[in-house]
Amino acid sequence: MASISLTVNKKKYQIDADPEMPLLWAIRDLIGLKGTKFGCGMAQCGACTVHLDGEAVRSCVTLLGRADGQEIVTIEGISDNTSHPLQKAWIELQVPQCGYCQSGQIMSAAVLLRENPHPTDQDIDEAMMGNLCRCGTYTRIRKAIHRAAEIMNG
Amino acid sequence: MKTGQKIKRRDFIRIVALPGAALFIVGYLDIKNKAPQIVNLSASAPGARINAYVFIDSSAGITIYNHRPEMGQGTFESIPMIIAEELEVDIAKVNIMASPADRKLYGDQMVVGSSSISGNFELMRRIGAAAKETLITAASNRWHVLQGDCYANDATVIHRSTGKKLTYIELAEDASRLSPPQNPKLKDPKDFTIIGTSPPRKDIPSKTNGEAVFGLDCSVKGMLYASVERSPVFLGRLVSYDDSKAKAVKGVKYVLKTQRNVWGHRREGVAVLADTYWAAAQGRKALEVKWDNGDLESWSTKKIKEDYKKASAQDGVIFEEKGNFSKVYDSAPVKIEVSYETPYQAHVPMEPMNAIVYAKKDSCEYWGSTQNPNGFRSQLARQCGIAEDNVTIHYTYMGGAFGRRSLTDVAEEAADLSMKTGMPVQVVWTREDDLTQGPFRACSLNVCKGALDSEGNPIGLEHKVICQDIRNQTGDDDRATDGIAGGINTDYLIPNMVIKGVLRKLYIPISYWRSVYHSTNCFAHESFIDELAVAAKKDPLDFRLSLLKNHERYTALLKAIAEKTGWYRPPQKDTGKGVAIVERSETFVAAVAEIAAKDGNVSVMKITVAIDCGIVVNPDIIKFQTEGCVVMGLTAAYKSGLTIEKGRVVEQNFNNYAMMRINECPEIEVIVMKNSYDPSGGGEPGLPPVAPALTNAIFNLTGKRIRELPFNLDMV
Repeated sequence: MASISLTVNKKKYQIDADPEMPLLWAIRDLIGLKGTKFGCGMAQCGACTVHLDGEAVRSCVTLLGRADGQEIVTIEGISDNTSHPLQKAWIELQVPQCGYCQSGQIMSAAVLLRENPHPTDQDIDEAMMGNLCRCGTYTRIRKAIHRAAEIMNG
Repeated sequence: MKTGQKIKRRDFIRIVALPGAALFIVGYLDIKNKAPQIVNLSASAPGARINAYVFIDSSAGITIYNHRPEMGQGTFESIPMIIAEELEVDIAKVNIMASPADRKLYGDQMVVGSSSISGNFELMRRIGAAAKETLITAASNRWHVLQGDCYANDATVIHRSTGKKLTYIELAEDASRLSPPQNPKLKDPKDFTIIGTSPPRKDIPSKTNGEAVFGLDCSVKGMLYASVERSPVFLGRLVSYDDSKAKAVKGVKYVLKTQRNVWGHRREGVAVLADTYWAAAQGRKALEVKWDNGDLESWSTKKIKEDYKKASAQDGVIFEEKGNFSKVYDSAPVKIEVSYETPYQAHVPMEPMNAIVYAKKDSCEYWGSTQNPNGFRSQLARQCGIAEDNVTIHYTYMGGAFGRRSLTDVAEEAADLSMKTGMPVQVVWTREDDLTQGPFRACSLNVCKGALDSEGNPIGLEHKVICQDIRNQTGDDDRATDGIAGGINTDYLIPNMVIKGVLRKLYIPISYWRSVYHSTNCFAHESFIDELAVAAKKDPLDFRLSLLKNHERYTALLKAIAEKTGWYRPPQKDTGKGVAIVERSETFVAAVAEIAAKDGNVSVMKITVAIDCGIVVNPDIIKFQTEGCVVMGLTAAYKSGLTIEKGRVVEQNFNNYAMMRINECPEIEVIVMKNSYDPSGGGEPGLPPVAPALTNAIFNLTGKRIRELPFNLDMV
């Protein structure tokens, strides 16, 4: 057990937990933010993607100890009032089906758009290939990322 | 977890008898026990029940209860759309809320077999129309005018001659005291303003901001998390276990034997229960368990294939027969006999399996994602030895299901552990549990024989399915049921045709998987029709058209897809195309795959699907369901497949049970046919023809016939 301090969505938390515990379970079960999802536990599906100091990481394999003192953003913190261009585009193009993987999809796409405001299809494929969607929303995700880029670039 | 806003009890007890429907006892709905998904229901003001589906509240407005659990198939929107159409309310302005799990109020709520719309279209229209007429009666009583002089529009009743108006909210309390009509008049479909449109789905915003609650997101005060170690050889029996190291893990509270039933087989496990999931998972890793797997470890994919091949010599059960196949086959000038093989597949919904059960002395509650809320209620009542009325099911959105969540097995484990500890327990399966424990889509061997006359006309076809039968997995009955023949098209005008099945019984559990046996049989059947077309030296699409010339819907579909894909255009160099068709859940589908050779590899360029599901409630839902079917169909064709070694599943997680990823996803186009046939299924029918359309295209491009799935696209 160790005392770990995290900033999640700009709020500070002091957690007493096993530093070997993956960040995912700390976010979900200790902090209580359930938007970040468990899908595979081995960084294969991307459902657990969060931003750790601005980078998209798979929280299911990121040890809590590594996140100590760092800034984390989860799907709940990506915008106020569901106003991120990606969220707007996801709603406009009606992307989600079951919706379970979409937090992770949006968190990965957010980093892509920050680094590359005008992504090509190939850029999107490369940035998003770590995020599985069993419902098969890929063609809509691709369109929605282009649309979000448009919204973002005004 | 989020719970529903409390709406003050209103004691309006009414019995609504709707023709063709179950009796609906309309009364107080216990809002506090609702599933957690509520859209915009902000008020705690008094409200009035118009019937079991329509609640009108003075400040929240109109709420429609959706009784079909949502797994990504869109019923959260489409079912209320049908009610709203007849109720004359703007779907954009109504709240949608999950109804309770209650067979007496809502009939069977199980979402399987693409049946939500086909099974509820008429009923939901009557529900909406009856509620509307009741509100009109309330207004006419208030005004002392004839009902026929009033009409409803946009949640308002209007008196035709004077233009007087009363809103549904103003009328709700009066209406809730009236008996709804027995035979409400339904709208003329040409006057539909909601059915046939694609309004923004109300569950979508919550699925972009983390608010949507899935089963795994629920928690109950005092809840323990359980992770269960089970024999990798499915039916292995627990010999002994040492839990001393597991119990030493901080947070671990109990280590207990547990079990679940899957289609008549009892499957055992050792559960580690802890105050966090992480501790339970760590405790499980520290368990030392001995299993007696008997001779089951001798099973492998190779042994299963050999067993199936040997079994294919059996005559089997005849499911359907016309003419005399054997006679024409024996004397036919052209004969073909080939076999097709498909593997076991896992459902792998993105949300791993889970269930919370709190079994108390006289009551029981369940929280989680289920396709089968009434079945869960019955199961938990049986297991806890209490009346069904004392079981409450809180069903959430499902993070995918594809058939897997129709089974009660995970809830059985949670109930068993809750009864043993007296605590609420959430059982959480890992992805490895999901992939190695099943149940799975059955693997199959299909043996097809065909005969052509001297002019190339098909005169005989035999299709024999060798596989396990979901409906007959235990016991001594060695006959397959006709369920295993799903997806074999008997509409083709082939004069002598016989469909047969040979049952195999194995210890490997199988169950319903999106489109079920259609997903395997259609691959074989539509590949074989293609082989017959090649033997007859005919264009495969024209060949199908000629064999379906009396079938209006297939003909329309094939012509539509031929036009959309430019089927008859001269092919470009290094490209290929293939077609396949199916009927599933009374919906007709044609798929065309377009592929290209690039740098020595085959690349899937585009999949086009034309779907005829009769009257369409929401075209975008049909489109995205079909897009999903294409991705799942392609995945099953050339990405995923389970193999068995030493009696157990080899593939453990997404690292070796490969799913299609975004970079591999081709362009997909969906054509939704327009007609006035009764509505039929939308969630599964797009899947079966995808694999054969693709393998037929590969034959068209390369001359290589693929008869075994999954195949390696890079090796074609």
